[in-house]
Amino acid sequence: MRSLEIFLYEWKHFVRSPFKIIALMLFIIASIYGLHNGADLYEKQHKEIEKLNLNANNQKETIVAYFENGKIGPKDKPWIDVTSPYWAIRNAPTYYFKEPSPAIVYNIGKAEQYGYYKAITTTSSPYDTDMAKEIANPERILSGTLDFSFVVLYLLSLLLLVLLYDIKGAEAEQGFLPLIFVQTGSKNWWMLSRTAFYTTLLLLVLFGLMLYGALLTDVFSEANAFWNIFLWIVGYLIFWCAIYFLILKYGKNTVSNTLQMIGIWLLFAFIIPAAIQQWISIEKPTNLMIDFIDVKRDKSDKIYDQSNLLTDKQLFNLYPSLMNTEIAKDSIRIKGARRSSIRALINEAMKDAIAKIESDHQTKNEIIANTYWFNPVTYSQNKLNQFSKTHYKDYESYRKDIQELVNKRIKIMVIDIWNNVHVDKTKYLTYIESLKK
Amino acid sequence: MLQIIKNEWRFLVRSHLFLGISIIFVCTLILSVFLGNYQTQKQKQSHRNAKNHVRQQWEKIDQLNPHSAAHYGTYIFKPSNLLSSLDEGVNSVTGNVLRVEGHVQNEITYSEASQIQAISRFGKLKSSLLLQYIVPLLLIFLAFNSVSNEKQSGRLKLMVLQGAKPFQIILSKTVAVWLYGVSLLILVLVVYGTLNIHNLTSEILIRTILFFISYILYYFIVSGFTVFFSARWHNATLALTSMMSIWILWTIFLPNILMSSAEKWHPLPSRYEFKSAMKEDRSKGLDGHNPTDNRALALKQRVLKEYGVDSLSQLPINFDGIRMQADEDYGNSVWDKHFGNNRKLLKKQKRSYQLGGILSPFISLQNTSMGFMGNDNLHHQEFLLQVESYRRVFIKMLNDKQTYGGSKTGNWGWKEDNAFFRSVPDFKYTPTTISIVFSNYILDVILLVFWLVIVLILIILGAKKIQIV
Repeated sequence: MRSLEIFLYEWKHFVRSPFKIIALMLFIIASIYGLHNGADLYEKQHKEIEKLNLNANNQKETIVAYFENGKIGPKDKPWIDVTSPYWAIRNAPTYYFKEPSPAIVYNIGKAEQYGYYKAITTTSSPYDTDMAKEIANPERILSGTLDFSFVVLYLLSLLLLVLLYDIKGAEAEQGFLPLIFVQTGSKNWWMLSRTAFYTTLLLLVLFGLMLYGALLTDVFSEANAFWNIFLWIVGYLIFWCAIYFLILKYGKNTVSNTLQMIGIWLLFAFIIPAAIQQWISIEKPTNLMIDFIDVKRDKSDKIYDQSNLLTDKQLFNLYPSLMNTEIAKDSIRIKGARRSSIRALINEAMKDAIAKIESDHQTKNEIIANTYWFNPVTYSQNKLNQFSKTHYKDYESYRKDIQELVNKRIKIMVIDIWNNVHVDKTKYLTYIESLKK
Repeated sequence: MLQIIKNEWRFLVRSHLFLGISIIFVCTLILSVFLGNYQTQKQKQSHRNAKNHVRQQWEKIDQLNPHSAAHYGTYIFKPSNLLSSLDEGVNSVTGNVLRVEGHVQNEITYSEASQIQAISRFGKLKSSLLLQYIVPLLLIFLAFNSVSNEKQSGRLKLMVLQGAKPFQIILSKTVAVWLYGVSLLILVLVVYGTLNIHNLTSEILIRTILFFISYILYYFIVSGFTVFFSARWHNATLALTSMMSIWILWTIFLPNILMSSAEKWHPLPSRYEFKSAMKEDRSKGLDGHNPTDNRALALKQRVLKEYGVDSLSQLPINFDGIRMQADEDYGNSVWDKHFGNNRKLLKKQKRSYQLGGILSPFISLQNTSMGFMGNDNLHHQEFLLQVESYRRVFIKMLNDKQTYGGSKTGNWGWKEDNAFFRSVPDFKYTPTTISIVFSNYILDVILLVFWLVIVLILIILGAKKIQIV
C-alpha cells in the first residue's frame, strides 16, 4: 500500500471521527482567539505610543510658545527659566518607546511584564517605577494571555496526542494489525505515513493560521519574522511527532500509549519548567534592588554632601572639556553650575548599581539557558520571544538604550551649563532633536 | 459499599504500574513541599535583610528636616507568608518593592517575573501545581476503566447478582479513586505541618482546612465524572479521551479565556490614562511646594485668622508643615479616587471570573486555593492598602513635626534629631485574617458544591442506565 493510499484512508478515518474534528476545531478557535489577543496588544501599544507622542508635542509647543512670546516659563512657577540649559533640557519632552513588533500577533512573550515607554529626564534610570508593566490584573498575568504561541507550545502537542493516540493500538485491540501488516508490507512505513498525514494536516492548519495572523498586523514588514516563527513551529511539531511516533511504535495498547503521551507532555510542559523555576528562585531569590535603593538615597545624599573639590574632580574626570570653560575659573558662577551638574555623578553611581543588578539577572538567565537541552518547551517559548522581540534580552537592550539616552541628556546639559549657553527657540528645538535616540 | 472500596484498593495495590507511579509521585509531592518551604524561608530571610537594611538607614538619620525626610522616604518589601510554600498565587508577578514617600502613592515594582526570561507558564513546582494539575490527571487514569473493566470481565454482573446496586458500585468506585487523591492531599499537608510545626497558628490551620476542603470537593468532581464516563461509554478509551478533553477544557482553555475576557469586560485604564487623570485631578488641588499657589494663599489666610495674627512670622507654628499636610490630604483624596477605581474594576473582574466556575470547577478551585493560602489578588490589594495607610501616618508624623516641632515658617534649614526619626514606627504588616475575606470565596465554594451535586446526579442517572452485560 503506497503512502498516498494510506493518506486517503487516514483522511476518511479523520472525517469520520467527530472527536478528532472537534479537537481540531477547538484548536483553530483557540488559535484565532490567541492571534486576536496578540493583535489587540499590538494595537493598544501603538495607540498609547501615539497618545504619548501627541502629549510630548503639546509640551514642546508650550515651551516654544514661551520663546516666541518672550517669556521664560510659567507664571506660577517663577523659578523656571527655559533660556537656561538646565530648565530647557528639563522641559524637553523625550519619550523612548519599545515599539511592538508586528510579530507580537503570534507571541506576546514578556511584553506584559515590562513597560514599553519611558519619559526620559536627567533623573531617569532604567529601573524607575514608571518602567513597571501596564496596569493589569495580576491573576490574569499569572495565568498569562492566551496567545498563538501558548496554543502552539501547549495545545498543539495535546491536539497531536488526540489525533495520534489510537494509531496501531486500536487496530491491535480489534485484531486487524496482522492484516494491515500484510497489506502495507511495513509496519513502520504504515505508522509513519499515518503520523505524517496528521503532521501535514497540522502544518497546513498552522500555516493558514499564521497567514491569518499576518492579516491582523503587518508581519511581513518585519524581516524574516514570519518564516522564522513558522520554521520554528515546524521544528517543534516534528519534535512532538517524533516522540509520539516512538511511543506508538513501541507501545502495546491505546490506553498505555495515551498515558505515556500525556506523561511526556506533563513532564515537558509542567514538571521540568516548574522545577527549574523553583530551583532558580531558591538559588537566586528575587533581587529586592537594595543596591539601587542605596544609590537613590544614601549615595545621592553623600554626593551632594561631598566637598566641592571632589565634586569638581569627578566632574572633570567625566567631562574633561569642563575644565577649560570660563565657569570653571569663576569661583562664583561655578557654584550654580556644580549644583546643577551633580546629577551626572549620581547617574554614574546609578549605572554601577544597575550593572550589578543586570549581572544578577544575567546569572539567573544563564541558568535557565543551560537547561534548554532538556527543557524544550521553555527553549521554544524563548526562541519565539526572540522572533517577536518580546524576549527578556529585548527589554534588557531597551533598558540599555534608555541609559544611553539619559547619559546623553546629562552630558549635553552639563556641558551647556558650564559653557553658559543661552537657549533660544532654535537651540531648544535642537535639544529636542539631539536628545532623541 | 465498603467492601467494593476495599476491593478496589486491593486491585490498585496489586498493580506494579500503579505502585511505581505512586511512589514517584509521592516523592515529587514531598519534594515540592520541601522546596516550597525552603524557598519561602530563603525569601523571608532576604526580605528580613532588606527590611532591616532600610530601617537601619532610617534610624541612622542624624539630623534632617522632617519634610526632607518625607522625600527621603522608605521602602516596604512585600513579605511572603508561610502558606506561600503551598500556593504562592500572584506573588511572582506582583512586584516586591514599594517606595513610601511624600506627595505620591507609588505602585509596587520589581516583580520576580521581570527579572528572568520566560520559564514556566504554570508557575513554580509548588504543591498547588501538582495538586491542581497532576493529581486530577492521576485520578482520571485510575478511574477511566474502573467500571468498563468490570463490564468487560463480567464482574459487574456478578456484583449485581451478589446484591450490589449499580448506584452503590459507581459511588464506591468514585470514592475509592477519590480517596487516593485525598491521601495525597493529606500527605502534603502532613509534611507541610511537620516542617512548620512551630509556626502553625489557628489562622494557618483554618486556612489549611479550607484549602483541604476545596481540593477534596474538586477531586470528588473529577473522580465522579470519570467513573460516570467509564460506566456510560462502551469502551475505556472513549471514557479516557472524553475525560481528558474535559480536563483540557477545564484547566487549560477556560481559565485562560475567561480571565482574558473578564479583563476585557471590565477594562482597567492604561498607565498613561491613569497617571494623566491623577495628574489632572492633582493639579486642581494645593501644591505644597509652591507658596504662591492660590489655594496655598487661601489656606494661609485661614490659618492666620485662626491664630489671630497678621503674618506667618508671628505664627507660633511652621506654616510650611500645614501646607505640606494640606497638599498630602488633597493628594490622598485623589489617590483614593483613582486607585480605588482600579480596585473596584479588579473586584468586578474577579467576580466575573469567579462566575466562570459555572463552566469549570477548576476556576473555583484555583480561586479558593490561592485565596485560602492568602496569596491571591485580594490579599495583595489588602497589603497595598496597609502600606498606603502606613504612608499616610508616616508622612503626617513628619509634616506635624515640621509644623509643631518648634521651627518657624520658611526655616527649611531646621532639622530634627535622630531620636525623632527613631521614634517613627516601622511598617508592620498584619496578615489579613480569613474571617474578614472569607465572604469573597463563598461563590467559589458554592460552585464547587454545585458541581458536586451535578456529579452525584450523573452518578444516579448513570446507575440507572448502566448496561450490566
